[in-house]
Amino acid sequence: MTQRRHVTLVAAAATLLAALPLTSVFATWTWFVDALIVVITTTGVALVVRNLRVASWIPTAAMALALLFVLTWVFHSGHELLGLIPTPKTFAHFNELLVSAGTDMRDQGVPVADRQGLLFLSTLGIGAVAIVIDLFTMVLRRPALAGLPMLAIYSVPVAVREDSVNVLPFAAGAAGFLWLMATDNVHRVRRFGRRFTGDGRDVSAWEPSPLAAAGRRLALVGVVIAVTVPMAVPGSNAGLLDRFGPTDGSGIGNGLGRGGNGASVDLYAVLSGELNNNRTFDMVKVQTNDPNPYYLRFGVADEVTPAGFRNRRPGGGLAATANLPGPTAQQGPGVALRPYHAQVQIVALNMNTLPVYLQPTRTSSLDSSWFYDRNDQLIYSRQSSSRDKKYGFDYVRAEYSPEALREAGALNADDPIQRQYTAVPRIPEVERRLAQIISGKFTPYDKVRAIHSYFSANNGFRYSLETKSGTSGSAIVDFLNNKQGFCEQYSAAMAWLVRAAGIPARVAFGFSRGNSQSGDTWTLTNRNLHAWTEVYFERFGWVPFDATPATFVGGVDSAWAPDPNRPADVPGATAPRDDLPIPGGPDQAAAAGPTSDPRQDRFGPDGNGATVTPPASPVPIPTTLGVLAALALLLVPALWRALLRRRRRPDRIADPRVTGASAPATRSAGGADLVVADDAAAGLARRRAHAAWDELIDTMVDYRLPLDLASTPRATSEHLVKTAALDEWAATGARLLGQAEERARYARQPLRSDDLTGSLRAVRDAIRQRVSWRTRLRAAFLPASVLSRWRAAAGEATTRLTVAVSERRDSLVRVLHPRRLLPGGRR
Amino acid sequence: MTTQRTQDDLGRPLPPSEFRAATEAIVANIERVIEGKTATIRLALAVMLAEGHLLIEDVPGVGKTKLAKSLARSIDCSVRRIQFTPDLLPSDVTGVSVYNQEVRDFEFKPGAVFANIVVGDEINRASPKTQSALLECMEERQVTVDGVTYPLQTPFMVVATQNPIEMEGTYPLPEAQRDRFTARIAMGYPDAKSELAMLDGHGAEDPVLDLLPVSDAGTVRRLIATVREVHAADAVRQYAVNLVTATRESPDLRLGASPRATLQLLRTGRAVAALDGRDYVLPDDLQSLAVPVLAHRIIPTAESQLSRRTTDAIVADIVRRLPVPTDRHRSPYDTRGQYDPGRR
Repeated sequence: MTQRRHVTLVAAAATLLAALPLTSVFATWTWFVDALIVVITTTGVALVVRNLRVASWIPTAAMALALLFVLTWVFHSGHELLGLIPTPKTFAHFNELLVSAGTDMRDQGVPVADRQGLLFLSTLGIGAVAIVIDLFTMVLRRPALAGLPMLAIYSVPVAVREDSVNVLPFAAGAAGFLWLMATDNVHRVRRFGRRFTGDGRDVSAWEPSPLAAAGRRLALVGVVIAVTVPMAVPGSNAGLLDRFGPTDGSGIGNGLGRGGNGASVDLYAVLSGELNNNRTFDMVKVQTNDPNPYYLRFGVADEVTPAGFRNRRPGGGLAATANLPGPTAQQGPGVALRPYHAQVQIVALNMNTLPVYLQPTRTSSLDSSWFYDRNDQLIYSRQSSSRDKKYGFDYVRAEYSPEALREAGALNADDPIQRQYTAVPRIPEVERRLAQIISGKFTPYDKVRAIHSYFSANNGFRYSLETKSGTSGSAIVDFLNNKQGFCEQYSAAMAWLVRAAGIPARVAFGFSRGNSQSGDTWTLTNRNLHAWTEVYFERFGWVPFDATPATFVGGVDSAWAPDPNRPADVPGATAPRDDLPIPGGPDQAAAAGPTSDPRQDRFGPDGNGATVTPPASPVPIPTTLGVLAALALLLVPALWRALLRRRRRPDRIADPRVTGASAPATRSAGGADLVVADDAAAGLARRRAHAAWDELIDTMVDYRLPLDLASTPRATSEHLVKTAALDEWAATGARLLGQAEERARYARQPLRSDDLTGSLRAVRDAIRQRVSWRTRLRAAFLPASVLSRWRAAAGEATTRLTVAVSERRDSLVRVLHPRRLLPGGRR
Repeated sequence: MTTQRTQDDLGRPLPPSEFRAATEAIVANIERVIEGKTATIRLALAVMLAEGHLLIEDVPGVGKTKLAKSLARSIDCSVRRIQFTPDLLPSDVTGVSVYNQEVRDFEFKPGAVFANIVVGDEINRASPKTQSALLECMEERQVTVDGVTYPLQTPFMVVATQNPIEMEGTYPLPEAQRDRFTARIAMGYPDAKSELAMLDGHGAEDPVLDLLPVSDAGTVRRLIATVREVHAADAVRQYAVNLVTATRESPDLRLGASPRATLQLLRTGRAVAALDGRDYVLPDDLQSLAVPVLAHRIIPTAESQLSRRTTDAIVADIVRRLPVPTDRHRSPYDTRGQYDPGRR
């Protein structure tokens, strides 16, 4: 019983080790404390119950009960009996926690803070895994199966984190699994009794058996391969556009080290998640006196790493309650600044930033926990959340004329903004394309416009929530090649190109304009979530550009960045307010009004006549080719066999000495020549006999006739005559073949017969008539002789490789053995 | 058997037709006495032509002695018979030096072994001392008495019979002695027809007495010379070595066959091939000879004895499992060849 108790404890420890990968999901260790409590409790209960020697299912049931109590105690709703006994209200509370966990999973980026729902979910999961592992190990005695629930835990961070997961937690989980297997095996061996060495010494239970070394080596090699092979595989997550995580959470170390509210939303995850959500729900209601509001923003991604655009945590520390700095641009020709007021009501948004329009100047109804990031123009908080917030703010809406922007020069190279917002990895393919796009453009604005226009349907770009994965290893190149994506791709690709052109740019997140039912109130749903590009111009500040086709996202057109998909552009218009596009105009109505669901009119013509056709179903050429290739592959053995048969036909085997050169003829006549020629003829006859015999043997193998390696040719042919019940003619042929081979092998003079080919055919035909059609089919298409020969060749090659490797290893061990380094030489 | 040093030359080999006629005459002659045992008779003849010695082992009354006698009588050569009894002495076998008063010197009186064919009946009834007298003459074809070596004639063949059932008053053959016999054959019971025919033929008098020689020592020497010419390909030699090696490595055997066994196996194989009208040895010949030539030389382990596996069965098992080698290594038609019964 002590032994089994030991295994129980190891199983519990292995569960905890296997849960370690969750560190990369959570920002703190709270989840681990919960996991510790739940694992210790369930395991303790199992130990106690098992000591009572009850039926084998009872400990498992007791563990499940213990899990329930622990969950009730840790995640109490306040309505429990004695704080432990769950009541219906407890279960309702659990349900709420699960629902909130579901929302959190959708909205939160990793690492997440201690959110009750997620903690509940992880504790429940780990407890369940502990029970299942105990079940596999102790009840079913199949600890190898415990790897499955462990893998289930491990798959959580793998699925959640879009960058790669740290190796260490994986290694820890694998070590736990191996530990469990090893412990169980030791106990399994001990059940046989005590072990003794050859000389009668009693062996300690933990002394490894001679085989254990091999097992350990296998395990080590397995883990090393599992860790290293994925590193060697070329990753496709280099320079991803649609990925970005918070700066402070790329690994567990970072996520754990920082205190406070480390949670930040993975904006891209929110975006793609919500745009793909089947349910449409209101997220934000905003009331403004601006007749033509631009996008409401709540996030900025301004860092490009090899892993893609990422958002920094907002900083800057300007109290949001104070007056905020106004717009960078000054009122003047081509620049219209108009102050407005907006009142926001958050319906369903849970973030640490508040959605505001660009260039807010003053806020109201906000407490002191909110700050303003001057760079990002975001209102953020370290403690509070945007959940259910109601607030108001004043802002200045700026409108620029293209002419004014065109006058903006390039920033100085040492300008901090220039330095910070133009950093981008150099990819030759992107550079090449960029050079084409901006050739002939000189001012920053013209370059930006060229890039902006580049992402139009005319260039083949199509809006689709489904992105195609490419093979270039770089997401931006993939998008530029595939030309299919949604706002994530459009915004990031444009920002990337603008940066590559040396102009500061960043990606902004927020809502497109949304729906207005009652004049000045706009309802923003999850489908309005949007990303766009902001470009910095000297003297003007950050100017938004939206490369995504406006039709699909309810986009807002602007004078400085008109929708490139509109055929009739209105460039050159100066920016008096009357020339600005009229809000709620016909085209805007089409875009902003009833088109809140981008899917609905994805295939419909937009208001401006620029139709976006659905992707034509591609001709399945690859499929056809694949099927053909597979068929060809299936035919290879058959072809190979036919080729072999052809080559072996005795009458096709020629004497190289005779056919090569007419040497005997040119030599002087005499007895010597005769002997040479005779030898040649004998050799030829031998080879013919051998070829015929090989063919006969292969035929027997193909048709599944029994074959005895210890049989002589004579015995083999007699056996064939008997087993295949050959008729007289074929039997004579088989005997002739046997005799020819026998004499070719063993006699001084081989049998010279011209009848080998005919005999071979007769025997083959006779065999074919005897066997079933299935055997015939298999002999034709999957000839066993060829397949087994290939298999043997492969086996031989593997053996050679193994031998070579082990020789290398042995010589290395000889050279590197630590004993050589000991004083006293090589003792 | 080491290189044969005989007094008289063997003579020229016979052409195939004459060889065939001579051997078939002998076989037919013996068959007049022993019906329905052609294979056994041919094997006995093959042993003779392979310059070996024959041990016939079977239950009483199946014609062991008759086979030995009829083989001897079919050939016009000197034949001596020794009835092995417990009181037989070595000098009765080898010969003895007696003092000749006339010449005032010791004179050698040759024993029973000085003949072309020596029939030793019930050989296991003599004491090991007497059996040992045969050791030198069977292997070296010479007799040494009082420091003087006397060579024996060619052909020289010992045909011994023994009874495996009756154990009382017998001395099992020592291992050295067994190893000197080229082959051990069993007669086996005749089939019903042969036994019926036997009743007719043997009813009145012993047909052995009527047997006339159909060959002579000179012919047999030439037959032996012919057998020596039979071709044994490298693969066949290799196969003989493999077979004998397999007996040494078999886990069922305590003692495997000796190198002498290898030699005699191949030699007998030549004789069998020649009797079959071939001038080359086949692995089939060696396979058919493995049990008679090897089985009596080997000693099974205690486990095999307990599980009642006879040495015959063990040797037959080895033959069944050992692949047949060929003289081919890799022919150009079969570069990846592996599924080939002959290729090793």
